[in-house]
Amino acid sequence: MQKLIYLSLLSSALLVIGCTERLDLAPLSAIGENGFYKNVTEVEGAVIAIYDGLQDVPQREFALTEMRSDNTRTRSSEGDWAQFESFDVEPTNTAIAAYWSANYNVIFRANRVLENLEVVNSTTLKSQFEGEARFTRALAHFNLVQAFGDVPLVDQVIIQTDSSYFDRDPVATVLSTIAADLSAARTLLPATLDYGRATSGAASALLAKVMLTQGDYAGAEGVLNELTTSGAYALEASYRDVFYNEGNGEVIFAIPYLDDDANESQDFSFEMTAGGAISGLNYMTDEFLAAMDPLDSMRNDVLLSPAHPAEGGKFLTQSADARLCGNDWIVLRYADVLLLQAEAIMAGAPSTQDLDAIAAYNEVRERANLSTLAVDGSETLTREMLLFERRYELAFENHRFNDLLRFGVAESVLSEFAANYSFPFTATDLLLPIPQGEINVSQGKLSQNPGY
Amino acid sequence: MTMKLPKKTIFIKPWCLMGFLLLLCNPLASWAKTDPIIVDQVVKTISGTISDENGEPLAGATVIVRGTAKGTLSNNEGGYSIEAEAGDVLFFSYVGYTQVERTVGDQSKIDVALEPDYAQLDEVVVVGYGKQKKSHLTGSISKVTNESLDQIPMSRMDDALVGQVAGVNIQSTNPAAGEAPVIRVRGQGSISFDSNPLIVVDGIAVGTDADFLSSLDMNDVESIEVLKDAASSAIYGSRGANGIIMITTKQGREGPTQFSYNAFVGVKSVPQNDYLTTVDDWLQYTRDNNNGELTERLQYIEQLGTYTDWQDVMMDGGMIQSHSVSARGGTKSTSFRAAMSYLNDEGVLLTDNFEKINFRLNLDTKVSERIKFGVVLNPSHTEQRRFPIGIHDAVRQNPWLPLYLDENNIQYVNRFRENGRWAGAQIGDYAMERMFDDYDLAAAMPSEGSGTDISGTSNQSALAKVLERDRRKFQTKIFANSYLNINLTDDLFFRQTVGGDFRYTRNTRWAGIEASRNGPADSESILDNAIQFHTVYESTLNFNKTMGEHELNAVAGFAYEQWNRNYSELEAAGYDFDNIQTIPAANLVGGESSAAQEGLVSYLSRINYVYGNRYLLSISARWDGSSKFGPDNKFGFFPAVSAGWRVSQEKFLRDNEVIYDLKLRGSYGITGSNSGIGEYDHIGLISPVGTALGGNATGFNAVNISNSALRWEKLVETNVGIDLALFQGRIATSFDYYIRTSEDLLLDLPIPSVTGFQTALVNKGTVENRGFEFELTSRNVASDNFSWSTSFLLTHNKNTLVDFAGASGLISVVDSKRPAEWIAQEGYPISSFYGYVVKEDIPLEYIRDPFFPINGQSQDIYVRDLNGDGIIDTDDRTFLGSPYPDFIWSVNNILKFGNFDFSFMFQGSQGAEVRNISSQYIKQEFSSNQDYNAEFPDGDLVVQRIFTNDDIQDASYISLRNLNFGYTLPRVAVEKLRIKKLRVYLGAQNLLYIMSEGYEGWNPEGIDQGLGNPLTYGYQRGPAPIFRTLSAGVNLSF
Repeated sequence: MQKLIYLSLLSSALLVIGCTERLDLAPLSAIGENGFYKNVTEVEGAVIAIYDGLQDVPQREFALTEMRSDNTRTRSSEGDWAQFESFDVEPTNTAIAAYWSANYNVIFRANRVLENLEVVNSTTLKSQFEGEARFTRALAHFNLVQAFGDVPLVDQVIIQTDSSYFDRDPVATVLSTIAADLSAARTLLPATLDYGRATSGAASALLAKVMLTQGDYAGAEGVLNELTTSGAYALEASYRDVFYNEGNGEVIFAIPYLDDDANESQDFSFEMTAGGAISGLNYMTDEFLAAMDPLDSMRNDVLLSPAHPAEGGKFLTQSADARLCGNDWIVLRYADVLLLQAEAIMAGAPSTQDLDAIAAYNEVRERANLSTLAVDGSETLTREMLLFERRYELAFENHRFNDLLRFGVAESVLSEFAANYSFPFTATDLLLPIPQGEINVSQGKLSQNPGY
Repeated sequence: MTMKLPKKTIFIKPWCLMGFLLLLCNPLASWAKTDPIIVDQVVKTISGTISDENGEPLAGATVIVRGTAKGTLSNNEGGYSIEAEAGDVLFFSYVGYTQVERTVGDQSKIDVALEPDYAQLDEVVVVGYGKQKKSHLTGSISKVTNESLDQIPMSRMDDALVGQVAGVNIQSTNPAAGEAPVIRVRGQGSISFDSNPLIVVDGIAVGTDADFLSSLDMNDVESIEVLKDAASSAIYGSRGANGIIMITTKQGREGPTQFSYNAFVGVKSVPQNDYLTTVDDWLQYTRDNNNGELTERLQYIEQLGTYTDWQDVMMDGGMIQSHSVSARGGTKSTSFRAAMSYLNDEGVLLTDNFEKINFRLNLDTKVSERIKFGVVLNPSHTEQRRFPIGIHDAVRQNPWLPLYLDENNIQYVNRFRENGRWAGAQIGDYAMERMFDDYDLAAAMPSEGSGTDISGTSNQSALAKVLERDRRKFQTKIFANSYLNINLTDDLFFRQTVGGDFRYTRNTRWAGIEASRNGPADSESILDNAIQFHTVYESTLNFNKTMGEHELNAVAGFAYEQWNRNYSELEAAGYDFDNIQTIPAANLVGGESSAAQEGLVSYLSRINYVYGNRYLLSISARWDGSSKFGPDNKFGFFPAVSAGWRVSQEKFLRDNEVIYDLKLRGSYGITGSNSGIGEYDHIGLISPVGTALGGNATGFNAVNISNSALRWEKLVETNVGIDLALFQGRIATSFDYYIRTSEDLLLDLPIPSVTGFQTALVNKGTVENRGFEFELTSRNVASDNFSWSTSFLLTHNKNTLVDFAGASGLISVVDSKRPAEWIAQEGYPISSFYGYVVKEDIPLEYIRDPFFPINGQSQDIYVRDLNGDGIIDTDDRTFLGSPYPDFIWSVNNILKFGNFDFSFMFQGSQGAEVRNISSQYIKQEFSSNQDYNAEFPDGDLVVQRIFTNDDIQDASYISLRNLNFGYTLPRVAVEKLRIKKLRVYLGAQNLLYIMSEGYEGWNPEGIDQGLGNPLTYGYQRGPAPIFRTLSAGVNLSF
């Protein structure tokens, strides 16, 4: 009996001594950040994580760029989504908050890579990783500056006490930093990499678009000429194949997804297409349907869903689960580049007879089996024609709103459109409101856009 | 009853106790060696009888000579005899009776009559790591003894506690069968997480989730103690801040084995109401308001001639039955109680169901005079099938929609629409609204695009949504505890506990191909498995000593707890078959597993000191070290002090005829809550993330911001109370006032997204709850043949957000499609409903089609221009109410007359509001037919109803919560059958349930979305209804 007593006292005493060290437990399904980014594999893991972050960006981007234009609307006019079609976006809108944070999250991930590059001892890999990080950082900044105007420029990893980074930087500053990132990425990146990763071509195409936004037509033209003469990219013969033959030679940069994968699928395909007739986002406006060229059957057949006349058909999912879609999101493709080239040559003028511009324009029209302009100097390419071409060639690829802005016609086109529906449109609606939640936590640094 | 010292004094080696770095060790050593004082004087024998207030003898009453170990028990005739000497004081006591003392003089015969102690001052109350006499409590602790709680026909034991304890709000937020209620002890303290109390079962802290209560059988429960103030719960350290519910199960008992069988069966139903209109009533309404005409759509509906009462279909009622068998008995050295129970609760909704099987063994044995050990073993299994959609979805159907296609209604099915989607419709198919669109009334046949539409939704019928889905929760739990008790000396014992609980939870979720309008594309099957293994090691030293006027009771101990958690999930989709619900490899779309560990090391101690049975003092301290806390704050310190003064024991009140007991209490304590912290939240984590890049490359991403200072939420509480009992305790009241300040709250603080993160988990912010609790129990009549007692409980709590760490004014929404707003503003409750104030409805003339859909009303409504600037904009929003009640109360009556007994409890809640979005569905407020037309001039003066106080409804209610009417068969009658006791009863739950006039729904207590987020508390979007149960039961023992 005595032994029993001693034994129990002894064991409890030992427990007391032995247990405190059990309070320092290492995670079992993750890694503590101290001690990470110590070798090339781990830094590459951080690079790949940027692309994971990018997967969030296109999810509801169409609300900001297609629904907030004359292209599409909602079916049910419910809640946050209806605000876009009526140009009445509230600062509390959850879609803009999600877009803001998704893009800054990409920037954070890119900056994490940039601050840990020293451990990469292969110079090839080091410049590739730097290029990928700077390209994605530029892409995210560019998304933000187009949607919100002046935005905080974040060029390093910051924490919540670094309030000097919370201020909005002028559009021009942001754009020039983006251009600097992309110029660097062009030379840092190789011409080809695994599908879905940034390349020098992607950096060039994006740089050209940024330069056009800055009004640097000559610079853009130079970059675009280099890209079109390189022969690295070409139009797909079939317009449908651009979207349903993934990884084709027209695609310059895309964000890939997988079918029926709880983590690697997207659902914008559902919302933009089959979801349209029901809950209804990205449902075509009457104006868009009316302006369609009936001869443009190759493209129209892709744009319209076979199931429903006003429902989008561009990203019809091939997945078994309606909301686990694997359609890749095309950010940059060659048809876009060709039209940008024509735009660059036009250099802000109302029209051009430049043969290179017309040739670029024709190349896109020809693929769609549509009439082309004569290349003998007798015909003129106008800005309206170019904008129209972009509207239908690139329909539902989230270009419309930004194209209207870049062409300087956003206010006139959208106010006319809004008038048809008695939507209260004003020029201040061209910039989205800064998400209210971000203003609230910015320690007074973030100001709201006018009109909100 | 004499006590002996052990023959050998046990020598405690110092190193054995080195863990107990406690104040007690030194005094222990000296006191342990103290021998009783033995003085030789003239000893004589005193004898007499002990009787009750009616002169009936009391057998087994205790007689003790004060200050000695001498004592005896009265015999069957109430007689006793004891040796004492002149000047000695004798204590006479009996459970449930007031102790009487008599000083020995010249006499040798002392007869006493004991008066019943209605206030039950000697009752023993279970407190953390010990027990205390009720009269000596200094904190705020309520005890509920299970006298008839097991007769309440509810499937969960926590549901049976409604109205039993002041200060505890138990809300039937989603009362589907087996679903947990929300329990709050003295209000919501946390901003980011729920504030569930810690559940302690037989000394093992099983967690703050109510999970464990779903499998316990109330028949096994002896008593439930609720530790409410911080001083009482501080002994549980970093887990005590939201109160503690301590459950003690029934132990074995010395004596012949007694078998019991307790069972009830009940019928459950949902009372009818008139929220949903019938087709006929609507046609009449239209004719009345539309010059006697029906619109084209309504003509079609009239012709269709179908009607479904969707409430009847979805709330189809159910049966509940419970059977519990137990055996209880033991010898002098070993006692046991073994029990088994089965419960099946069909629930009142179409598919909800809950089943429970429970086994239990409580075993205690004495190895020797000094050593005792025991085990508790409680395996259980529960299976819950859930109603797969919200009630709002179930009742939003147009009432003309039939359930299935039949010979008549199939003629109306349009076989051309949607590319011939219903070309193959057959009798027996689920009917859905769109099938009946586009009907040519003139030609009396479906049209090809020019007919009349009557659908309101493209959704699959609610019937298919319910029947073609299957969501279940399976839980297997094993609770085990064992202890070894060693009396080291007469006053000092050591107790070692090893125990824990194992939980295996499996959730399955199936949606078949007919569950959704999207068919196979929306079919899915999800399986998740969670395993938790929780082990507890506890060592305590307990010291009890009474010396003259001094009473000391102390405990000191050490505890280590560990949790191992494993989780895995499989997800499948794209089924094109309906006959298998498990997951074939071909349909797999995702899956993952994860694991985590948690450790908690604690040192605890408490001293209770009583002087002269009048002055009470309790001091406790606990140190908790948790693996979840950041390295800068690894250990938390949780001290508490409380004191009491039993004024009624002072000379000036001692013999007062009226005042039987009067005690003033005060307490102050600091306790904590750690349930909001994840196992590794303080570490900056890098997690694997997938991509669809070549080869599906996996990346590694930072998922949170590290916080080396992360720690518990801290509660500081001051409590003052008064206990007053009058007339021998026939009237007993108690009043408590408290101020609870919850500080260092865990906030997922929104931070600028430019950092790459949207939130950071920090300890910031303060919430205050202050309020009072009042309890009154009155024994109105207490005679042999008739007794009647009434108790009344009243609780008031006021919740205030004091400091929101710079985020004051934060607006939150639950659902971006219906972004109705909540505001969290300092000076107001944590969550307040926010929005516009309704002015008036839009006149019917401006509504496109005011008569369609059936029961429809406009989505928009005129609102008030609160700032008077002539325009309606966001500056016209205001506070619209709060989801927290001002008062909760209950009145319980227990009557006994002869062999009959009758009890009933009214219970209610006043002053809370809910945001009841169900109205939007009941009244089809989203229908474009109900939009205003082009002639409407005031489009800028109206807003959607969901943004207004139109949906903010008074959630007050008064219910006749429980009613029980029983008859115990006369002893003579049952003894012939060799039965000890046989009682039959009829019961009812919610026989009356009066909702406030402004409330429109099935459950004012309901809260079914955003439950885990206090910032958006109070949102109803189709919670399960409050139901009525009529039951009959039997209690049999032999």
